Amino acid sequence: MTTTTQTAPLVRATGVTKKFGSGDKEMVALSGLNLEVREGEFLSLLGPSGCGKSTALNIMGGLLSATEGSITFGGKTLTEPSRQIGMMFQQAVMFPWRTTLDNVLLPVEIFGESKKKYRAKAEELLSMVGISEFAGSYPWQLSGGMQQRAALCRVLLHDPKLLLLDEPFGALDEFTRETMNQELLRLQAHTKSTAVLVTHNITEAVFMSDRVAVMSARPGRLIGILEIPFDRPRTPDLQTTSDFVALVAEARKMLELQ
Amino acid sequence: MTTLAPASTTTAKVKQQRPDRDTKGAGWIALITIAVFLLLWQFIPQTGLINRVLFPTFTDTLAGFVQLVSGGYWWEDLGKTMMAVAIAWPIGVAFGFSMGVILGTSPFIRQAITPYAIAVQALPKVVLAPLLIGWLGFGSESKIALAVIICFFPVWIDTMVGLALPAANEFKLMQSLKATRRQIFLKLQLPSAIPMIMVGVKHSLLLAFTGVLVAEILSASDGGLGKLAKEFASQLNMPLTYSVVGIVVILAVALVSIADVIERRVVFWSEESRARKR
Repeated sequence: MTTTTQTAPLVRATGVTKKFGSGDKEMVALSGLNLEVREGEFLSLLGPSGCGKSTALNIMGGLLSATEGSITFGGKTLTEPSRQIGMMFQQAVMFPWRTTLDNVLLPVEIFGESKKKYRAKAEELLSMVGISEFAGSYPWQLSGGMQQRAALCRVLLHDPKLLLLDEPFGALDEFTRETMNQELLRLQAHTKSTAVLVTHNITEAVFMSDRVAVMSARPGRLIGILEIPFDRPRTPDLQTTSDFVALVAEARKMLELQ
Repeated sequence: MTTLAPASTTTAKVKQQRPDRDTKGAGWIALITIAVFLLLWQFIPQTGLINRVLFPTFTDTLAGFVQLVSGGYWWEDLGKTMMAVAIAWPIGVAFGFSMGVILGTSPFIRQAITPYAIAVQALPKVVLAPLLIGWLGFGSESKIALAVIICFFPVWIDTMVGLALPAANEFKLMQSLKATRRQIFLKLQLPSAIPMIMVGVKHSLLLAFTGVLVAEILSASDGGLGKLAKEFASQLNMPLTYSVVGIVVILAVALVSIADVIERRVVFWSEESRARKR
Protein backbone atom coordinates (compact mmCIF):
# COMPACT_ATOMS: atom_id res chain seq x y z
CA MET A 1 0.00 0.00 0.00
CA THR A 2 2.86 2.35 0.78
CA THR A 3 4.71 1.86 -2.49
CA THR A 4 1.95 2.49 -5.02
CA THR A 5 4.29 4.10 -7.53
CA GLN A 6 5.84 0.77 -8.50
CA THR A 7 6.82 -0.56 -11.86
CA ALA A 8 4.18 -2.40 -13.90
CA PRO A 9 2.91 -5.62 -12.29
CA LEU A 10 4.50 -8.89 -13.36
CA VAL A 11 1.12 -10.44 -14.11
CA ARG A 12 -2.10 -8.62 -14.86
CA ALA A 13 -5.40 -10.42 -15.31
CA THR A 14 -8.10 -8.31 -16.90
CA GLY A 15 -11.70 -9.58 -16.87
CA VAL A 16 -10.60 -13.20 -17.10
CA THR A 17 -13.57 -15.54 -17.47
CA LYS A 18 -13.36 -19.26 -18.11
CA LYS A 19 -16.31 -21.39 -19.16
CA PHE A 20 -16.18 -25.13 -19.60
CA GLY A 21 -18.61 -27.03 -21.81
CA SER A 22 -21.35 -25.40 -23.85
CA GLY A 23 -25.11 -25.10 -24.04
CA ASP A 24 -26.95 -26.62 -21.08
CA LYS A 25 -23.78 -28.09 -19.69
CA GLU A 26 -21.92 -24.79 -19.69
CA MET A 27 -20.17 -24.16 -16.40
CA VAL A 28 -18.58 -20.86 -15.46
CA ALA A 29 -15.42 -21.79 -13.56
CA LEU A 30 -14.09 -18.27 -13.26
CA SER A 31 -15.93 -15.02 -13.71
CA GLY A 32 -14.38 -11.65 -14.51
CA LEU A 33 -11.14 -11.93 -12.56
CA ASN A 34 -9.17 -8.70 -12.26
CA LEU A 35 -5.91 -9.23 -10.45
CA GLU A 36 -2.37 -7.94 -10.42
CA VAL A 37 0.63 -9.86 -9.21
CA ARG A 38 3.46 -7.55 -8.19
CA GLU A 39 7.08 -8.34 -8.86
CA GLY A 40 8.67 -10.20 -5.95
CA GLU A 41 5.53 -10.66 -3.90
CA PHE A 42 4.00 -13.81 -2.50
CA LEU A 43 0.31 -13.91 -3.39
CA SER A 44 -2.19 -16.56 -2.37
CA LEU A 45 -5.44 -17.47 -4.08
CA LEU A 46 -7.63 -18.62 -1.20
CA GLY A 47 -11.05 -20.18 -1.56
CA PRO A 48 -13.21 -23.27 -1.28
CA SER A 49 -13.01 -25.99 -3.93
CA GLY A 50 -14.79 -24.94 -7.10
CA CYS A 51 -13.89 -21.27 -6.74
CA GLY A 52 -11.78 -21.38 -9.88
CA LYS A 53 -8.46 -20.77 -8.15
CA SER A 54 -6.71 -23.63 -9.94
CA THR A 55 -8.31 -22.55 -13.22
CA ALA A 56 -6.98 -19.04 -12.66
CA LEU A 57 -3.51 -20.46 -11.97
CA ASN A 58 -3.55 -22.62 -15.10
CA ILE A 59 -4.57 -19.59 -17.18
CA MET A 60 -1.70 -17.57 -15.65
CA GLY A 61 0.62 -20.42 -16.59
CA GLY A 62 -0.59 -20.42 -20.18
CA LEU A 63 -1.87 -23.99 -19.89
CA LEU A 64 -5.49 -22.93 -20.34
CA SER A 65 -6.81 -20.10 -22.46
CA ALA A 66 -9.34 -17.67 -21.07
CA THR A 67 -12.82 -17.62 -22.61
CA GLU A 68 -12.94 -13.86 -22.09
CA GLY A 69 -10.41 -11.33 -20.89
CA SER A 70 -6.65 -11.50 -21.08
CA ILE A 71 -3.47 -12.06 -19.11
CA THR A 72 -0.27 -10.16 -19.48
CA PHE A 73 3.03 -11.43 -18.18
CA GLY A 74 5.90 -8.97 -17.97
CA GLY A 75 3.86 -6.51 -20.01
CA LYS A 76 3.15 -8.91 -22.88
CA THR A 77 -0.05 -10.81 -23.55
CA LEU A 78 0.34 -14.43 -22.49
CA THR A 79 -0.98 -16.98 -24.94
CA GLU A 80 1.15 -20.03 -24.25
CA PRO A 81 3.35 -21.41 -21.45
CA SER A 82 6.56 -19.52 -20.79
CA ARG A 83 9.91 -20.79 -19.61
CA GLN A 84 9.98 -17.80 -17.26
CA ILE A 85 7.11 -19.42 -15.37
CA GLY A 86 7.58 -22.52 -13.23
CA MET A 87 4.67 -24.67 -12.11
CA MET A 88 4.30 -27.03 -9.17
CA PHE A 89 1.36 -29.36 -8.65
CA GLN A 90 -0.24 -31.23 -5.78
CA GLN A 91 1.61 -34.34 -6.92
CA ALA A 92 5.38 -34.20 -7.20
CA VAL A 93 5.17 -35.58 -10.78
CA MET A 94 8.53 -37.31 -10.72
CA PHE A 95 9.39 -39.70 -13.53
CA PRO A 96 10.15 -43.09 -11.95
CA TRP A 97 12.76 -44.05 -14.57
CA ARG A 98 14.93 -41.04 -13.73
CA THR A 99 17.03 -40.53 -10.64
CA THR A 100 16.12 -37.63 -8.39
CA LEU A 101 18.97 -35.54 -9.85
CA ASP A 102 17.87 -36.29 -13.42
CA ASN A 103 14.31 -35.37 -12.51
CA VAL A 104 15.53 -32.05 -11.17
CA LEU A 105 17.51 -31.50 -14.38
CA LEU A 106 14.51 -32.24 -16.63
CA PRO A 107 13.67 -28.58 -17.38
CA VAL A 108 17.11 -27.65 -18.71
CA GLU A 109 17.18 -30.87 -20.70
CA ILE A 110 13.93 -29.82 -22.37
CA PHE A 111 15.24 -26.30 -22.93
CA GLY A 112 18.11 -27.88 -24.80
CA GLU A 113 20.72 -26.50 -22.43
CA SER A 114 23.75 -28.35 -21.15
CA LYS A 115 22.92 -30.52 -18.16
CA LYS A 116 26.54 -30.32 -17.08
CA LYS A 117 26.26 -26.58 -16.60
CA TYR A 118 23.31 -26.98 -14.26
CA ARG A 119 24.46 -30.08 -12.43
CA ALA A 120 26.23 -28.20 -9.65
CA LYS A 121 23.25 -25.92 -9.20
CA ALA A 122 20.86 -28.88 -9.02
CA GLU A 123 23.05 -30.50 -6.39
CA GLU A 124 23.20 -27.25 -4.44
CA LEU A 125 19.41 -26.96 -4.48
CA LEU A 126 19.04 -30.57 -3.35
CA SER A 127 21.36 -29.93 -0.43
CA MET A 128 19.49 -26.73 0.41
CA VAL A 129 16.32 -28.77 0.93
CA GLY A 130 18.31 -31.46 2.72
CA ILE A 131 18.07 -34.38 0.31
CA SER A 132 21.45 -34.25 -1.38
CA GLU A 133 22.21 -37.84 -0.35
CA PHE A 134 19.21 -38.98 -2.41
CA ALA A 135 20.38 -37.39 -5.67
CA GLY A 136 21.18 -40.79 -7.14
CA SER A 137 18.07 -42.51 -5.76
CA TYR A 138 14.88 -43.04 -7.69
CA PRO A 139 11.78 -41.05 -6.70
CA TRP A 140 9.93 -44.20 -5.60
CA GLN A 141 12.63 -44.72 -3.00
CA LEU A 142 11.76 -41.33 -1.50
CA SER A 143 8.91 -40.31 0.82
CA GLY A 144 6.16 -38.01 -0.43
CA GLY A 145 7.73 -35.03 1.35
CA MET A 146 11.16 -35.70 -0.14
CA GLN A 147 9.61 -36.02 -3.60
CA GLN A 148 8.00 -32.60 -3.22
CA ARG A 149 11.35 -31.19 -2.07
CA ALA A 150 12.86 -32.51 -5.29
CA ALA A 151 9.96 -31.01 -7.26
CA LEU A 152 10.70 -27.68 -5.59
CA CYS A 153 14.34 -27.95 -6.71
CA ARG A 154 13.17 -28.78 -10.24
CA VAL A 155 10.96 -25.71 -10.49
CA LEU A 156 13.68 -23.42 -9.09
CA LEU A 157 16.51 -24.80 -11.25
CA HIS A 158 16.13 -22.42 -14.18
CA ASP A 159 15.29 -19.34 -12.06
CA PRO A 160 11.76 -18.70 -13.31
CA LYS A 161 10.51 -15.19 -12.60
CA LEU A 162 7.13 -16.50 -11.53
CA LEU A 163 6.29 -19.59 -9.49
CA LEU A 164 2.77 -20.96 -9.83
CA LEU A 165 2.05 -23.35 -6.99
CA ASP A 166 -1.13 -25.42 -7.15
CA GLU A 167 -1.56 -26.71 -3.57
CA PRO A 168 1.95 -28.14 -3.80
CA PHE A 169 1.96 -29.61 -0.32
CA GLY A 170 -1.75 -30.44 -0.09
CA ALA A 171 -1.13 -34.17 -0.25
CA LEU A 172 1.40 -34.14 2.59
CA ASP A 173 0.71 -34.53 6.30
CA GLU A 174 0.33 -31.44 8.49
CA PHE A 175 3.86 -31.52 9.95
CA THR A 176 5.64 -32.09 6.66
CA ARG A 177 3.52 -29.39 5.07
CA GLU A 178 4.59 -26.83 7.65
CA THR A 179 8.28 -27.58 7.14
CA MET A 180 7.84 -27.51 3.39
CA ASN A 181 6.12 -24.13 3.57
CA GLN A 182 9.13 -22.83 5.52
CA GLU A 183 11.49 -24.21 2.89
CA LEU A 184 9.42 -22.64 0.16
CA LEU A 185 9.49 -19.20 1.80
CA ARG A 186 13.22 -19.45 2.37
CA LEU A 187 13.97 -20.44 -1.22
CA GLN A 188 11.55 -17.89 -2.68
CA ALA A 189 13.29 -15.14 -0.71
CA HIS A 190 16.67 -16.52 -1.76
CA THR A 191 15.80 -16.56 -5.48
CA LYS A 192 13.80 -13.30 -5.30
CA SER A 193 11.10 -14.85 -7.45
CA THR A 194 7.41 -13.98 -7.48
CA ALA A 195 5.03 -16.66 -6.24
CA VAL A 196 1.32 -17.37 -6.58
CA LEU A 197 0.03 -20.09 -4.26
CA VAL A 198 -3.35 -21.78 -4.60
CA THR A 199 -4.68 -23.06 -1.27
CA HIS A 200 -7.87 -23.67 0.69
CA ASN A 201 -6.06 -23.38 4.02
CA ILE A 202 -6.67 -19.94 5.55
CA THR A 203 -3.81 -20.08 8.07
CA GLU A 204 -1.38 -21.23 5.41
CA ALA A 205 -2.45 -18.43 3.05
CA VAL A 206 -2.05 -15.73 5.72
CA PHE A 207 1.25 -17.11 6.96
CA MET A 208 2.86 -17.38 3.55
CA SER A 209 1.62 -14.32 1.72
CA ASP A 210 2.13 -10.63 1.26
CA ARG A 211 -1.42 -10.50 -0.08
CA VAL A 212 -4.27 -12.99 -0.01
CA ALA A 213 -6.83 -12.94 -2.83
CA VAL A 214 -10.03 -14.36 -1.34
CA MET A 215 -12.32 -16.12 -3.82
CA SER A 216 -15.81 -17.60 -3.72
CA ALA A 217 -17.36 -20.49 -5.60
CA ARG A 218 -20.07 -20.90 -8.24
CA PRO A 219 -19.21 -18.95 -10.19
CA GLY A 220 -15.61 -18.52 -9.13
CA ARG A 221 -14.81 -14.88 -8.56
CA LEU A 222 -12.62 -12.60 -6.49
CA ILE A 223 -14.20 -11.29 -3.27
CA GLY A 224 -11.40 -9.09 -2.06
CA ILE A 225 -7.70 -8.82 -1.34
CA LEU A 226 -6.24 -8.91 2.14
CA GLU A 227 -2.87 -7.24 2.78
CA ILE A 228 -0.64 -9.18 5.17
CA PRO A 229 1.87 -6.72 6.62
CA PHE A 230 4.15 -9.02 8.67
CA ASP A 231 7.91 -8.81 8.28
CA ARG A 232 9.99 -11.54 6.73
CA PRO A 233 11.47 -13.97 7.40
CA ARG A 234 8.45 -15.30 9.21
CA THR A 235 8.63 -17.99 11.86
CA PRO A 236 5.87 -20.35 13.04
CA ASP A 237 5.61 -18.28 16.27
CA LEU A 238 3.88 -15.62 14.21
CA GLN A 239 0.79 -17.80 14.03
CA THR A 240 0.06 -17.35 17.73
CA THR A 241 0.19 -13.54 17.72
CA SER A 242 -3.10 -11.65 18.03
CA ASP A 243 -2.50 -9.70 14.81
CA PHE A 244 -2.14 -12.95 12.90
CA VAL A 245 -5.24 -14.46 14.47
CA ALA A 246 -7.19 -11.29 13.64
CA LEU A 247 -6.17 -11.48 9.96
CA VAL A 248 -7.14 -15.16 9.78
CA ALA A 249 -10.53 -14.25 11.30
CA GLU A 250 -10.97 -11.47 8.74
CA ALA A 251 -10.22 -13.83 5.85
CA ARG A 252 -12.67 -16.32 7.31
CA LYS A 253 -15.35 -13.64 7.56
CA MET A 254 -14.81 -12.66 3.92
CA LEU A 255 -15.28 -16.30 2.92
CA GLU A 256 -18.36 -16.81 5.09
CA LEU A 257 -20.17 -13.64 4.06
CA GLN A 258 -20.59 -15.09 0.61
CA MET B 1 -17.74 -60.32 -2.52
CA THR B 2 -17.36 -57.46 -0.11
CA THR B 3 -16.68 -59.76 2.80
CA LEU B 4 -13.87 -61.42 0.85
CA ALA B 5 -11.94 -58.21 0.24
CA PRO B 6 -10.55 -57.63 3.77
CA ALA B 7 -9.52 -61.30 4.06
CA SER B 8 -7.46 -61.14 0.87
CA THR B 9 -5.68 -57.96 1.95
CA THR B 10 -4.65 -59.55 5.23
CA THR B 11 -3.16 -62.58 3.46
CA ALA B 12 -1.27 -60.23 1.18
CA LYS B 13 0.20 -58.51 4.21
CA VAL B 14 1.23 -61.80 5.82
CA LYS B 15 2.92 -62.81 2.57
CA GLN B 16 4.96 -59.63 2.59
CA GLN B 17 6.07 -60.16 6.13
CA ARG B 18 7.18 -63.73 5.71
CA PRO B 19 8.52 -64.15 2.21
CA ASP B 20 11.03 -66.95 2.99
CA ARG B 21 8.56 -69.33 4.46
CA ASP B 22 6.11 -68.77 1.66
CA THR B 23 8.52 -69.35 -1.22
CA LYS B 24 9.88 -72.44 0.51
CA GLY B 25 6.37 -73.82 0.86
CA ALA B 26 5.62 -73.09 -2.78
CA GLY B 27 8.84 -74.88 -3.81
CA TRP B 28 7.87 -78.02 -1.93
CA ILE B 29 4.37 -78.02 -3.38
CA ALA B 30 5.80 -77.72 -6.91
CA LEU B 31 8.23 -80.61 -6.30
CA ILE B 32 5.52 -82.87 -4.89
CA THR B 33 3.20 -82.05 -7.79
CA ILE B 34 5.91 -82.99 -10.31
CA ALA B 35 6.67 -86.24 -8.46
CA VAL B 36 3.01 -87.27 -8.36
CA PHE B 37 2.59 -86.37 -12.02
CA LEU B 38 5.62 -88.45 -13.08
CA LEU B 39 4.47 -91.43 -11.01
CA LEU B 40 1.00 -91.34 -12.56
CA TRP B 41 2.58 -90.97 -16.02
CA GLN B 42 4.76 -93.98 -15.37
CA PHE B 43 2.14 -96.35 -13.93
CA ILE B 44 -1.22 -95.55 -15.52
CA PRO B 45 -0.16 -96.67 -19.05
CA GLN B 46 1.17 -99.94 -17.50
CA THR B 47 -2.17 -100.79 -15.93
CA GLY B 48 -3.75 -101.12 -19.36
CA LEU B 49 -6.43 -98.59 -18.54
CA ILE B 50 -5.23 -96.53 -21.49
CA ASN B 51 -3.44 -97.52 -24.69
CA ARG B 52 0.29 -97.68 -24.08
CA VAL B 53 1.07 -97.12 -27.76
CA LEU B 54 -0.72 -93.78 -27.75
CA PHE B 55 0.28 -92.90 -24.19
CA PRO B 56 3.81 -94.20 -23.55
CA THR B 57 5.14 -94.31 -19.99
CA PHE B 58 7.57 -91.75 -18.64
CA THR B 59 10.58 -94.06 -19.05
CA ASP B 60 9.52 -94.96 -22.63
CA THR B 61 9.35 -91.27 -23.42
CA LEU B 62 12.70 -90.66 -21.74
CA ALA B 63 14.26 -93.40 -23.88
CA GLY B 64 12.73 -91.76 -26.96
CA PHE B 65 14.17 -88.44 -25.86
CA VAL B 66 17.66 -89.90 -25.53
CA GLN B 67 17.28 -91.54 -28.94
CA LEU B 68 16.17 -88.26 -30.51
CA VAL B 69 18.88 -86.14 -28.97
CA SER B 70 21.68 -88.61 -29.68
CA GLY B 71 20.36 -89.16 -33.22
CA GLY B 72 21.68 -85.80 -34.32
CA TYR B 73 19.34 -85.24 -37.26
CA TRP B 74 16.98 -83.14 -35.20
CA TRP B 75 19.54 -80.36 -34.79
CA GLU B 76 18.80 -79.13 -38.28
CA ASP B 77 15.08 -79.01 -37.51
CA LEU B 78 15.72 -77.21 -34.24
CA GLY B 79 17.91 -74.70 -36.08
CA LYS B 80 15.27 -74.10 -38.75
CA THR B 81 12.53 -73.48 -36.20
CA MET B 82 14.66 -71.19 -34.06
CA MET B 83 15.96 -69.33 -37.11
CA ALA B 84 12.41 -68.68 -38.27
CA VAL B 85 11.47 -67.41 -34.79
CA ALA B 86 14.62 -65.26 -34.69
CA ILE B 87 13.64 -63.63 -37.97
CA ALA B 88 9.86 -63.39 -37.50
CA TRP B 89 9.86 -62.10 -33.91
CA PRO B 90 11.98 -58.95 -34.47
CA ILE B 91 10.03 -58.17 -37.66
CA GLY B 92 6.74 -58.57 -35.78
CA VAL B 93 7.98 -56.47 -32.86
CA ALA B 94 9.28 -53.72 -35.16
CA PHE B 95 6.07 -53.68 -37.17
CA GLY B 96 3.83 -53.78 -34.09
CA PHE B 97 5.87 -51.04 -32.40
CA SER B 98 5.73 -48.78 -35.46
CA MET B 99 1.97 -49.26 -35.79
CA GLY B 100 1.56 -48.60 -32.08
CA VAL B 101 3.60 -45.39 -32.25
CA ILE B 102 1.77 -44.11 -35.34
CA LEU B 103 -1.66 -44.86 -33.88
CA GLY B 104 -0.71 -43.89 -30.36
CA THR B 105 0.47 -40.42 -31.36
CA SER B 106 -1.99 -39.55 -34.12
CA PRO B 107 -5.66 -39.52 -33.05
CA PHE B 108 -6.72 -39.05 -36.66
CA ILE B 109 -5.01 -42.18 -37.96
CA ARG B 110 -6.15 -44.05 -34.85
CA GLN B 111 -9.79 -43.27 -35.59
CA ALA B 112 -9.38 -44.20 -39.22
CA ILE B 113 -7.71 -47.54 -38.55
CA THR B 114 -9.34 -48.77 -35.31
CA PRO B 115 -12.35 -50.53 -36.97
CA TYR B 116 -9.99 -52.53 -39.20
CA ALA B 117 -7.68 -53.23 -36.31
CA ILE B 118 -10.55 -54.73 -34.34
CA ALA B 119 -11.55 -56.88 -37.31
CA VAL B 120 -7.96 -58.09 -37.75
CA GLN B 121 -7.67 -58.83 -34.04
CA ALA B 122 -10.87 -60.87 -34.05
CA LEU B 123 -9.64 -62.97 -36.97
CA PRO B 124 -8.09 -66.33 -35.99
CA LYS B 125 -4.95 -65.63 -37.96
CA VAL B 126 -4.04 -69.28 -38.46
CA VAL B 127 -6.71 -69.36 -41.16
CA LEU B 128 -4.38 -67.21 -43.26
CA ALA B 129 -1.79 -70.00 -43.35
CA PRO B 130 -3.13 -71.69 -46.55
CA LEU B 131 -3.30 -68.28 -48.19
CA LEU B 132 0.29 -67.44 -47.24
CA ILE B 133 1.52 -70.84 -48.39
CA GLY B 134 -0.29 -70.23 -51.66
CA TRP B 135 1.37 -66.85 -52.10
CA LEU B 136 4.82 -67.54 -50.76
CA GLY B 137 5.27 -71.28 -51.30
CA PHE B 138 6.15 -74.03 -48.84
CA GLY B 139 9.51 -72.58 -47.87
CA SER B 140 10.53 -70.58 -44.85
CA GLU B 141 8.96 -67.36 -46.25
CA SER B 142 5.38 -68.47 -45.60
CA LYS B 143 6.43 -69.74 -42.18
CA ILE B 144 7.95 -66.40 -41.21
CA ALA B 145 5.02 -64.47 -42.68
CA LEU B 146 2.50 -66.40 -40.61
CA ALA B 147 4.56 -65.95 -37.45
CA VAL B 148 4.87 -62.20 -38.09
CA ILE B 149 1.13 -61.84 -38.65
CA ILE B 150 0.37 -63.76 -35.46
CA CYS B 151 2.94 -62.05 -33.25
CA PHE B 152 2.82 -58.34 -34.08
CA PHE B 153 -0.58 -57.65 -32.61
CA PRO B 154 0.16 -57.57 -28.88
CA VAL B 155 3.13 -55.25 -29.43
CA TRP B 156 0.94 -52.93 -31.45
CA ILE B 157 -1.86 -52.80 -28.88
CA ASP B 158 0.46 -52.59 -25.85
CA THR B 159 2.52 -49.80 -27.43
CA MET B 160 -0.65 -47.84 -28.21
CA VAL B 161 -2.07 -48.32 -24.72
CA GLY B 162 1.30 -47.62 -23.08
CA LEU B 163 1.74 -44.30 -24.87
CA ALA B 164 -1.58 -43.14 -23.40
CA LEU B 165 -0.57 -44.08 -19.85
CA PRO B 166 0.98 -40.82 -18.53
CA ALA B 167 -1.33 -38.91 -16.18
CA ALA B 168 -2.75 -35.47 -16.96
CA ASN B 169 -0.31 -33.89 -14.50
CA GLU B 170 2.70 -35.35 -16.29
CA PHE B 171 1.55 -33.87 -19.59
CA LYS B 172 0.85 -30.60 -17.77
CA LEU B 173 4.40 -30.50 -16.40
CA MET B 174 5.84 -31.05 -19.88
CA GLN B 175 3.55 -28.40 -21.36
CA SER B 176 4.48 -25.89 -18.66
CA LEU B 177 8.11 -26.41 -19.72
CA LYS B 178 7.11 -25.80 -23.34
CA ALA B 179 8.27 -29.26 -24.37
CA THR B 180 7.82 -30.05 -28.06
CA ARG B 181 5.64 -32.99 -29.14
CA ARG B 182 8.80 -34.89 -29.93
CA GLN B 183 10.18 -34.23 -26.42
CA ILE B 184 6.89 -35.23 -24.80
CA PHE B 185 7.03 -38.45 -26.79
CA LEU B 186 10.69 -39.27 -26.12
CA LYS B 187 10.98 -38.12 -22.52
CA LEU B 188 7.53 -38.95 -21.16
CA GLN B 189 5.31 -41.19 -23.28
CA LEU B 190 7.85 -43.69 -24.55
CA PRO B 191 9.54 -44.35 -21.17
CA SER B 192 6.11 -44.65 -19.53
CA ALA B 193 5.07 -47.14 -22.19
CA ILE B 194 8.11 -49.40 -21.94
CA PRO B 195 6.74 -51.70 -19.20
CA MET B 196 3.60 -52.29 -21.29
CA ILE B 197 5.64 -52.71 -24.47
CA MET B 198 7.84 -55.29 -22.75
CA VAL B 199 4.73 -57.32 -21.88
CA GLY B 200 3.70 -57.22 -25.54
CA VAL B 201 7.20 -58.14 -26.70
CA LYS B 202 7.25 -61.17 -24.37
CA HIS B 203 3.81 -62.24 -25.47
CA SER B 204 4.79 -61.88 -29.11
CA LEU B 205 7.83 -64.12 -28.60
CA LEU B 206 5.59 -67.05 -27.71
CA LEU B 207 3.16 -66.17 -30.50
CA ALA B 208 6.01 -66.10 -33.03
CA PHE B 209 7.06 -69.55 -31.79
CA THR B 210 3.46 -70.77 -32.15
CA GLY B 211 3.16 -69.31 -35.64
CA VAL B 212 6.34 -71.01 -36.83
CA LEU B 213 5.29 -74.39 -35.39
CA VAL B 214 1.80 -74.18 -36.90
CA ALA B 215 3.24 -73.32 -40.30
CA GLU B 216 5.69 -76.23 -40.04
CA ILE B 217 2.90 -78.66 -39.18
CA LEU B 218 0.83 -77.39 -42.12
CA SER B 219 3.61 -77.34 -44.73
CA ALA B 220 6.19 -79.98 -44.04
CA SER B 221 8.71 -79.29 -46.79
CA ASP B 222 10.91 -76.78 -44.96
CA GLY B 223 11.54 -78.95 -41.88
CA GLY B 224 11.52 -77.78 -38.30
CA LEU B 225 10.30 -79.11 -34.97
CA GLY B 226 6.66 -78.87 -36.08
CA LYS B 227 7.34 -81.09 -39.06
CA LEU B 228 9.25 -83.52 -36.85
CA ALA B 229 6.36 -83.84 -34.39
CA LYS B 230 3.87 -84.36 -37.21
CA GLU B 231 6.02 -87.06 -38.85
CA PHE B 232 6.62 -88.97 -35.61
CA ALA B 233 2.92 -88.82 -34.80
CA SER B 234 1.93 -90.12 -38.22
CA GLN B 235 4.35 -93.04 -37.66
CA LEU B 236 2.63 -93.61 -34.28
CA ASN B 237 6.08 -93.18 -32.70
CA MET B 238 4.68 -91.59 -29.61
CA PRO B 239 7.81 -91.52 -27.41
CA LEU B 240 9.55 -89.41 -30.06
CA THR B 241 6.49 -87.23 -30.61
CA TYR B 242 6.34 -86.61 -26.88
CA SER B 243 10.04 -85.80 -26.88
CA VAL B 244 9.61 -83.13 -29.54
CA VAL B 245 6.72 -81.65 -27.57
CA GLY B 246 8.92 -81.77 -24.47
CA ILE B 247 11.71 -79.92 -26.27
CA VAL B 248 9.25 -77.27 -27.39
CA VAL B 249 8.08 -76.85 -23.78
CA ILE B 250 11.67 -76.51 -22.54
CA LEU B 251 12.50 -73.99 -25.26
CA ALA B 252 9.39 -71.93 -24.56
CA VAL B 253 10.08 -71.83 -20.83
CA ALA B 254 13.72 -70.91 -21.46
CA LEU B 255 12.80 -68.14 -23.89
CA VAL B 256 10.23 -66.68 -21.52
CA SER B 257 12.67 -66.84 -18.59
CA ILE B 258 15.34 -64.99 -20.56
CA ALA B 259 12.75 -62.40 -21.60
CA ASP B 260 11.68 -62.04 -17.95
CA VAL B 261 15.25 -61.37 -16.82
CA ILE B 262 15.74 -58.77 -19.57
CA GLU B 263 12.40 -57.17 -18.71
CA ARG B 264 13.29 -56.86 -15.05
CA ARG B 265 16.59 -55.18 -15.93
CA VAL B 266 15.01 -52.73 -18.35
CA VAL B 267 11.94 -51.69 -16.36
CA PHE B 268 13.26 -52.14 -12.82
CA TRP B 269 11.54 -48.87 -11.96
CA SER B 270 8.02 -49.90 -12.92
CA GLU B 271 5.47 -50.57 -10.22
CA GLU B 272 5.01 -54.18 -11.35
CA SER B 273 8.73 -54.94 -11.17
CA ARG B 274 8.99 -53.41 -7.72
CA ALA B 275 5.93 -55.32 -6.53
CA ARG B 276 7.47 -58.58 -7.75
CA LYS B 277 10.73 -57.92 -5.93
CA ARG B 278 8.97 -57.41 -2.61
